[in-house]
Amino acid sequence: MRIQVQGILKKYGERMLFSIPSLEIGSGQSLHLQGENGAGKTTLMKILAGLERPSSGSIILNGIDSRSWWKRPHHKLIYLHQTPFVFSGSVSDNVRFGLGYQFSSRRDLDKRVEAALELSGLTHLATQEARTLSGGEKQRLAMARAAILEPSMLMLDEPTANLDAESIKIVTEMVTSLSAQECCIMLSSHQKTSLTQLCQRQLQLKAGQLLEVFENPEYSKYA
Amino acid sequence: MDPLLVTSLDAIKLLVSGDEALWNIIGVSCRVSLTALSIAAIPAVLLGFLLAMVRFPGRWVVITIFHALMAVPTVVVGLSLYLMLSRSGPFGDLHLLFTQPAMVIGQVLLCFPVLVCMSHSAFQSLDKRAWETARTLGASHGRSFIALVREARFALLATLVVGFGRIISEVGCSMMVGGNIMSYTRNIPTAIALETSKGEFAQGVALGIVLLLLALVLNFFLASFRGRGQLVSS
Repeated sequence: MRIQVQGILKKYGERMLFSIPSLEIGSGQSLHLQGENGAGKTTLMKILAGLERPSSGSIILNGIDSRSWWKRPHHKLIYLHQTPFVFSGSVSDNVRFGLGYQFSSRRDLDKRVEAALELSGLTHLATQEARTLSGGEKQRLAMARAAILEPSMLMLDEPTANLDAESIKIVTEMVTSLSAQECCIMLSSHQKTSLTQLCQRQLQLKAGQLLEVFENPEYSKYA
Repeated sequence: MDPLLVTSLDAIKLLVSGDEALWNIIGVSCRVSLTALSIAAIPAVLLGFLLAMVRFPGRWVVITIFHALMAVPTVVVGLSLYLMLSRSGPFGDLHLLFTQPAMVIGQVLLCFPVLVCMSHSAFQSLDKRAWETARTLGASHGRSFIALVREARFALLATLVVGFGRIISEVGCSMMVGGNIMSYTRNIPTAIALETSKGEFAQGVALGIVLLLLALVLNFFLASFRGRGQLVSS
């Protein structure tokens, strides 16, 4: 999978949020996106996931322009909210949500759901109403719901904010496992965590521009 | 005995005895109103959804117009429809005036704005993340819409109940385009108006009881359905 950002600009009215002339993300890469509150991290990730449209410019995914994505579901690019939304229904129903359109056998689907629940440590809560879960459990549920779809790119918005140590450990394990399967990971986080340490690339949104940050500041450059 | 009590007892006797004329009126009312609601519901909910989700120039004008249409008196809708369906009107050739289909059209026009506005509010009050989550997990637009309908089901059910309430109890439009023809276009509200004007209070009260029972049953049904959906944070 290859994502190419071509001159995207995001404006809200007269206010310019960011302008990114170019950015390339290759298969299996992991990126840590930093930036102050309001810098546009969430908006950038939503644009990459096809949930928001840039004011101008385009995203090319494997040679296909993002402007034609609306015609088909692009379930291989998944964005996870900072506070995940869970649908009414059981935990198991939620994990199964994305598989609804896939024509696999019922048995195969059940197996995949069970495996995802086990990986996220939610097996014992499978039949529980998803909305009654704690914040950490919801985050793990959101991870399981995404992981089951075997995404090409997973974008996580502050995935470990407000999580306890156990949940951080499980989320980190799940992200590591996806990364090992060539899934590209992009996460935004204010703090350095066990997750951000896994990232090969550091990007920073600052004053409307995207900066690629290297350990030696001299090598840092604008994207 | 108190005249009100006597009338009420007579009304209950009429209902229990299975009076054919009375039950015929109830049948016409339910048939016409349920048909109108079934016709209006899906397009209205879809329109409410689009108004909540899609940003386009003039969107607020459309929303304001629908809000204004909710308050249009039923008799005005009836009069407008009467003029269109009468012989000299543009749709006179269809010979629909004083028929049940004319009543259905009138009731569709009456409940459509209510259904649009209330379903628009129901979708607008949903968390934006619901749509984004469905889409990012690969659901098509149609499946994402169904997921949102599921999330807003209590509010949407209340929308249908309110829409039904608006049309089952309206007199003006049914009287004007239905004509209050016995065993054909006479429904509960027009029959109550007629019987009361004739001094036949028992049948009027009996029909009033039916309307009250209908409202109670619908609201109990809604309350029990809501009761199962406990309020929890999403």
